Amino acid sequence: MASGYPERRSPSGRFLPPDPRTAEPHRFTPQLALRVGMLAGLALVVFAVLFLRLWALQVLSGDRYLLAAQDNQLRTVRVEAPRGSIVDRAGRTVVSNVPGTAVKIWTADLPKEGRYAMLQRLSKVLRVPLPRLTKALEERKGDPLTPILVKTAVHEDQVATLLEHRAQFPGVEIVGTYLRDYEYKALGAQVLGYVGEISPEELERLEKDGYRGGEKIGKTGVEAAFDGYLRGTPGLAQLRVDSLGRPQGAFEERRPAQPGNSVRLTIDVGLQRAAERALRHGIEIARGHEAWNANGGAIVALDPRNGAVLALASNPTYKPSVYVGRVDPKKLEPLTVEKVAKERNYPGINRAIAGVYPPGSVFKPLTALAAISDGLLSPFEYIQCTPFAEYGLDNHRFDNWNPFTNMPMTLTTALSQSCDTYFYDIGNRYYERGEREREYWTAMQEWARKFGFGQAAGLDIGGELPGLLPTPEWRKQTYRGIDRAWNPGDLIQLAIGQKDMTVTPLQMTRFYAALANGGHLVTPYLVSAIERPGSEGEPAVPLRTFAPPPPKPVAVDPQALSVVREGLYQATHDRDGTSSGVFGSFPVPVAGKTGTAEKVVNLPGYPAGHMEDQAWWCGWGPFDGAEYVKDGGGRRAPLVVCAVIENGGHGGVAAAPAALKVFEHWFGEQAGVQGEVLSD
Amino acid sequence: MIEAASPRPVAREHDLVGFLGRLDWVLLAAVGALVAYGLWAVAGITRYDVEGDQLYYVVRQAIAAGLGFAGFLVALAIDPDRYRRLQLPIYALTILLMLLVFPLASETRGSRRWIEVGSFQFQPSEFGKVLFVLALAGFLADRARRLGEGRVVLQALGLALIPIVLVFKQPDLGTALAYVAALGACLFVAGIRWSHLGALVAASALAIASVVWFLPAAGVEVLEPYQVDRLNFTNLESDPAGTGYNQTQSITAVGSGGLDGRGVDAATQTRLDYLPEHHTDFVFAALAEQRGFFGAALLLGLYLLVVWRGLRVITVSRDAFGTILAGGIVVAFLFQVFVNVGMTMGVAPVTGIPLPFVTVGGSSMVVNLVAIGLLQAIHARGHTGRRGAR
Repeated sequence: MASGYPERRSPSGRFLPPDPRTAEPHRFTPQLALRVGMLAGLALVVFAVLFLRLWALQVLSGDRYLLAAQDNQLRTVRVEAPRGSIVDRAGRTVVSNVPGTAVKIWTADLPKEGRYAMLQRLSKVLRVPLPRLTKALEERKGDPLTPILVKTAVHEDQVATLLEHRAQFPGVEIVGTYLRDYEYKALGAQVLGYVGEISPEELERLEKDGYRGGEKIGKTGVEAAFDGYLRGTPGLAQLRVDSLGRPQGAFEERRPAQPGNSVRLTIDVGLQRAAERALRHGIEIARGHEAWNANGGAIVALDPRNGAVLALASNPTYKPSVYVGRVDPKKLEPLTVEKVAKERNYPGINRAIAGVYPPGSVFKPLTALAAISDGLLSPFEYIQCTPFAEYGLDNHRFDNWNPFTNMPMTLTTALSQSCDTYFYDIGNRYYERGEREREYWTAMQEWARKFGFGQAAGLDIGGELPGLLPTPEWRKQTYRGIDRAWNPGDLIQLAIGQKDMTVTPLQMTRFYAALANGGHLVTPYLVSAIERPGSEGEPAVPLRTFAPPPPKPVAVDPQALSVVREGLYQATHDRDGTSSGVFGSFPVPVAGKTGTAEKVVNLPGYPAGHMEDQAWWCGWGPFDGAEYVKDGGGRRAPLVVCAVIENGGHGGVAAAPAALKVFEHWFGEQAGVQGEVLSD
Repeated sequence: MIEAASPRPVAREHDLVGFLGRLDWVLLAAVGALVAYGLWAVAGITRYDVEGDQLYYVVRQAIAAGLGFAGFLVALAIDPDRYRRLQLPIYALTILLMLLVFPLASETRGSRRWIEVGSFQFQPSEFGKVLFVLALAGFLADRARRLGEGRVVLQALGLALIPIVLVFKQPDLGTALAYVAALGACLFVAGIRWSHLGALVAASALAIASVVWFLPAAGVEVLEPYQVDRLNFTNLESDPAGTGYNQTQSITAVGSGGLDGRGVDAATQTRLDYLPEHHTDFVFAALAEQRGFFGAALLLGLYLLVVWRGLRVITVSRDAFGTILAGGIVVAFLFQVFVNVGMTMGVAPVTGIPLPFVTVGGSSMVVNLVAIGLLQAIHARGHTGRRGAR
C-alpha cells in the first residue's frame, strides 16, 4: 500500500505536489447520490424486516409465545403412588412400603459437553457401575422425556453430596420413592414375588393400560398377578425449574397419586412360617438318613373345603429384598445367573406350583378310585402282595419296594402298607382291558385328569406347570421308533405313579383335598380380597372379594372313596401303616399316604441318568374333613397338606415328619414320641 | 491540525463554539439516547445475573461508555485525513491485533476472541473493525481515480482478505462477515464499476455456497459443523433442544414480551436462564421480553436514526476518504444491527455479533463510540460544516 500519493501527470503541468482534494475537489456526484440512495433503501428494507418480524412475534403471536415461555418452566412429573400392601388372611402386613430416596436422570437436561464426566462423577457418588449408567442412557436414547432410574434407596450421605454439588449434576433429580419392605424377610418369597422397574417388553404390552417407562411393576408372584390393584394411580405434579432443571419452589400437585389397594392373602403367616421351617426340618432329617443330596422341596397346605391356600412353601428360597434399593448384582446371582442358580438349586422357582416330580405312591389312591369306579377292582378283593411281579410277553419284572412281604391284601391294607405289586396288578388289568375294549384304553388317565392332573390347578397367581399325564397318544408324539409303543409297563408303572408321570405339589394337594372333602375338586386360590387400607386404625374396606369357583364334584364311586379314605387312615394309624410312626400318636386324626418316587436327576458328580428318591407325604386332618374342635374350645379349619423333599429318600422318613410339623402348628397339638418309621 | 492546502482557512481548533455547531446533533442525540437506553435495559436484563450485586454489569458498561466517550472526543478532534496518511501503519496494526489473538487469547467456548489485559478483556476483532475500515478507505481514497480498473479492486480485495481470514480463523464467523460487509460498502461507496460489483456479488455467492454446501459434500470442512448448523437457521424446529435451542428460546423470549413487555421480574426466559447469553449476543431478545414491542421498537427506531444520519455523513464529506470511511462504518453498523436483532428473531443465522451500544462488552462500546466520533469528525469538517449546522 502506498503511503504517499501516486505519481501521475497533472493536467495543468504545474509542479505542485499532487493532491486529490485540490486537483479534483470532492463532489457529491449523481453517481454517489445514487449509491447512497441505494444504501438508504437497503437500510429501510432491513429495518422494515426487523420491525415486521418484531410485530409478528410480539403482537400477533405474543400470547402463544407467552404460553411457551410459561411452559418452559413447568415440568410435569408423574408422582409415584405408594404401592398397596400385602396382608395375610388375618390382616397381618406381610409386604409394605418404607419411604426411600431415588436418583433419576432426565436425559434431556444432561449437558451436551462433559456428559461422560458427569456420569462418571455420579457413578462414583452413587457407587453404581458406570457401564450400567451408559447402557441405560443408550437404551433410552429415543425417549428423552422419561427419567432414567439410576438407583433407589440412596443413602443419606450420597443425597447430601448430590445436593451440595447440585450444579455439577445437571439433569440429576433426587426424588422420594417407596421401597418394598418385607416384614418377614424371606417368608413366602416365591409366592409374594418381587417388584422391579418395568422392562421394555412389559412396557410395550402395558403402555395402553397406563404404565409408563421408569415405573415399578410386579415381576412375579402376587406382586405381578395383582399388580393392577397394588400399583395405584400415579399422580401428576408440576415443578417450576430453571434452564438447568434446578427446582424453583415446591411441587405443585395437579392430580394426587392414588395409593394402591392392598391385597389380602389366604395365606396364614404363622402356618407359612411353620411350613417353611418344616421343609428345612424335612431336608435335615433326609440328610440324616443317608439322603445326602436332599436339597429342596415344597409344602402346600390348603383348606380342603374351598381351596384357600394357607401355606405355600418352597425351598431353597431367597430374600425378596435383594431386589429392593441398592441392588447388589452379587446377591441377585442365584436368581439371575444360570450357573449360580443351578449351584443353589434355583431358589427363584416356586416348587409348589412349578416344580414337577413323579408322584410315586401318593398316586396310588387315584389308581384305586379309578379301578373301583371302572369295575376293575373290588375293594374287598384279595390280591397277593409279593416281592415282585412279572408282566408282559417278555415277563418283565417289576419289583415291590418291600422284598420281604408275601401275603394277600385288600385295598385298605395295600394302601396302608403301600404294596406295589397290588397296584401293578391293577395297572395290568387296565392294560388288558384297554386292549379288549378301546374305550378303556386311557381310562386311568381320564380319572387322573378328572382329579386335576396334567393341567394347571388354576391358582390365581399363575406360573403353574401342568406336569405330565402320560397317554399312548403322548408317547407316540414324543418318541421315535420302538419307544413309541405303549406297553403294559406304562400302565403298570403309572398305577404306582412312576415312569413318565409328573405332578406339581399343588396338583397333588388338590387331589388329596378331594379325598378329604368327599370327592370335590377345589380350585386353589391365594388372594381372597382387594381392600382399601383404612386410615389411622380404621379397618380396611373390602373393595372386591374373590370367591373361588365352587368345588366341582367328581363322579367317583362313593364306596370307592370311602374305602380309599379308610386305607389312608390305616396308613397313618395301623401297626404296619407307612406313616403310623409319625402320625399315630397325633391327637388330630390325620389320614395320608407316603410316596417315594424315583426320578432321574442331574446332580453334579453323578453319571447321567442317576436316580434319586423324591420323598412325598400327602394327607389331611381331621379325618372327617370337618372343622377340628379342640378340647379347650376353639375350632380349626380342616387342613390338607402335601410335602415333597427333593432327593429326600423315603417319604415316611423325610416328608411325613415335615408334614406333621405343619399339622402340629395348625391344630396347636403335639404328636407323641415318634415311632419306628416303616419305609415306603 | 491546520492544513495549508485547505481551502478553508478557519482555525477550527480555536473556534470551539463554531466547531461544536458543525456537529451532527441529531446523530449525537440518537447515540446518547442509545447509550442511556442501553444502560437502562442492561440494568433490567442483568439484575439477577450476579448474586448480591444487581448493578454489576451496568457499572462496568457505564465505565466502558465513559471510556468510549473519551475515544469519541479524541476521534472528533483528529482530522480524518491523518488516518489516510497513516494507512500503512494502521493496516499493520490491524494485522498485528488479529495475530495477537492466537498466542494470547484463551479459548472460550472453542473460540479465541478475547485478550486479557489485567482484569480487563478486550476483543481485538472489535477494534480491528474500525482500523480495517480506516486502512481500506485510505487505500481506496488514494486510488479514487483508478477505481475503474479491475487491478485496483483486486488489490483492495487482497489487502482486505488477510484480516478477514484471520478473524474467521479465531473463529469468529459473525465479525468476519461484518468485515466483509464493510469491505463491500467501501468498494460500493468509493465508486467501483457496476460490472465489478456484480462480479464480486456473484463470486461471494459462489464462495458461500461452496463453503456451506459444495465443499462439505466433497468432504472438505471449511466451517465447523456447528457453524453450518447455525447458518441453516431456517429449520431450527427440527432439533429444538440442539443447535436450534438458543434461537428457539430467543424467539420465545421475544414473542412472550408482547406489546408492553413482561417487566424485569416476570421475564422468566431471561431470569431463569432459558435465554442463553442474554446480556451479550441475545441481549435484544431479553430487552424485547422485558420491555415488549414498545421498548424494542424504540431501540430499532434509534438505530434507524443513527443509520440515516450516518448515510447523510457520506454525502457531506469533504473528501473521498471521508465518504468511503463513513460508508464502511455505517454499513458495518447496519449489518451488525440486522444480524444481531435478526438472529434473536429467527430471520438471521446465529453468530456471535454484539448489538451496538447495548450488548455488555467494553470493546464493542468503545469502538462503536469511536466510530461515531469518526462520523462526527467527517461531518464537522464536511460541506455542511462549512456552511454551518443545518
